[in-house]
Amino acid sequence: MEQFLEQFPIVVQSLNVGFLQTLKLFFVTLLGAVPLGLIIAFGSMSRFRPLSCFTKIVVWIIRGTPLMLQLLIIFYFPGLVLGKQIWGGGEASRFLASSVAFIFNYACYFSEIYRGGIQSIPVGQEEAGLVLGMTRKQIFFKVTLLQMIKRIVPPISNEIITLVKDTSLARIIALQEIIWAGQAFMKGSQGISGQIWPLFFTMVYYLIFSGLLTVLLGQLEKKLDYFR
Amino acid sequence: MKKRVLSLLLCGLMTAALLAGCGSKEAPATEAPADTEAESADGSDMEYVKSKGTLVVGITDFEPMDYKDENGEWIGFDADMAKAFAESLGVEAEFVEIDWDNKALELDSKTIDCVWNGMTLTDEVKSAMECSNAYCNNAQIVIVPADKADQYQDTDSLKDLNFAVEAGSAGEAEVNALGLSCTPVKAQSDALLEVASGTSDAAVIDSLMAAAMVGEGTGYADLTYTVQLNSEEYGVGFRKGSDLAAALNDFFAAGYEDGSVAACAETYNIQAALIDM
Repeated sequence: MEQFLEQFPIVVQSLNVGFLQTLKLFFVTLLGAVPLGLIIAFGSMSRFRPLSCFTKIVVWIIRGTPLMLQLLIIFYFPGLVLGKQIWGGGEASRFLASSVAFIFNYACYFSEIYRGGIQSIPVGQEEAGLVLGMTRKQIFFKVTLLQMIKRIVPPISNEIITLVKDTSLARIIALQEIIWAGQAFMKGSQGISGQIWPLFFTMVYYLIFSGLLTVLLGQLEKKLDYFR
Repeated sequence: MKKRVLSLLLCGLMTAALLAGCGSKEAPATEAPADTEAESADGSDMEYVKSKGTLVVGITDFEPMDYKDENGEWIGFDADMAKAFAESLGVEAEFVEIDWDNKALELDSKTIDCVWNGMTLTDEVKSAMECSNAYCNNAQIVIVPADKADQYQDTDSLKDLNFAVEAGSAGEAEVNALGLSCTPVKAQSDALLEVASGTSDAAVIDSLMAAAMVGEGTGYADLTYTVQLNSEEYGVGFRKGSDLAAALNDFFAAGYEDGSVAACAETYNIQAALIDM
């Protein structure tokens, strides 16, 4: 017990540093993937067939392969095959590569959710807009968008909660997120070795954060409840 | 009919797009090897490191070779030597924690410049990297629960045990050579965990690591080490064909002359394992 109390502050401090990295990756991914997903959604709905086919193939490849594999390829491939390492040096390089992989991967999932949301809006609304002389752009931003947002909140919440936990995959290219930080104490770090509880303790961080997100997203859903 | 023409047209377009895609991908690929050739022609690996000003050292948290002090600074025998070597080249040493499984991949993709972390010189390592001369002795030793240690003091007594070993490690090779049954796990620390939790009877790990992690006053006070299976050596790995390996050998030789290597080894209490080069 005494030993535990001695170790606790050291472990928590190290986990905090790791969790900060997890949070950074989470928010960067969200910020990048939310708009990129919309662009990809437009691509796959395009009436220009080659573009929509191309986008669908890309989405198929990204959704059809493990994110862990994508991380490995994105980080190591440039240096191995092109002979030039493009990610810069140090830990920042690992963060940059992880961000790119995560943004792209999640944008593809988001794009399909957006597409479902947009296509669930009755076609009659668009026709009515055209009759009234609105441009397609106006129709999207003034009529479709808010209704789409309301409808996609539940499925997007699902993806966001999944993203919280998926960030741990970045440890494969040695991004030092919270799982890495917890695992370090098994092998030995800062004088603590052979301890598995720090790894299990990371669970508390994940639960608190995903709980917070669940509440926030629930509130967003409620806010949008004023129309059907 | 119209639809068929349209779909044919689209197929054609798609193939064109694909071919164009391939073409544009090929272009940088063909440029790139030329790039690397140019690099190796007018600049060696040493030139490359000097031109960017940093020697990126791939490590794991491994006491007493590479570990963090209270200020978060990387110290240890390997870390200190790496800093001194980088200084001799006129560059800065930058330490990056890597996944040990990916060490050759990290080197080849230039995300690190060397692996300097108590790396056992196995045939596999030697074929994948340009290695320096050995600088430190190590051994593979058997770890068992302390209360059963007296039953397992020689190789014969190990026959019925189920071992946990790090996948791809020198320990795994030793256990397989003796024909013992084993479970490969992800890391040496996992192998210790297997023994401590009783899921395996024994483990085989590096003696330098065992000295730091097993026995009284450590996280694994209930474990102890018994039989030594082999002896082996640590070296530093560079990219295949790199001239830095030779430079490091010269650096070490000079360090032995003036006693700086021995002094550093004494700081971390590993002078007994040091190899006289």
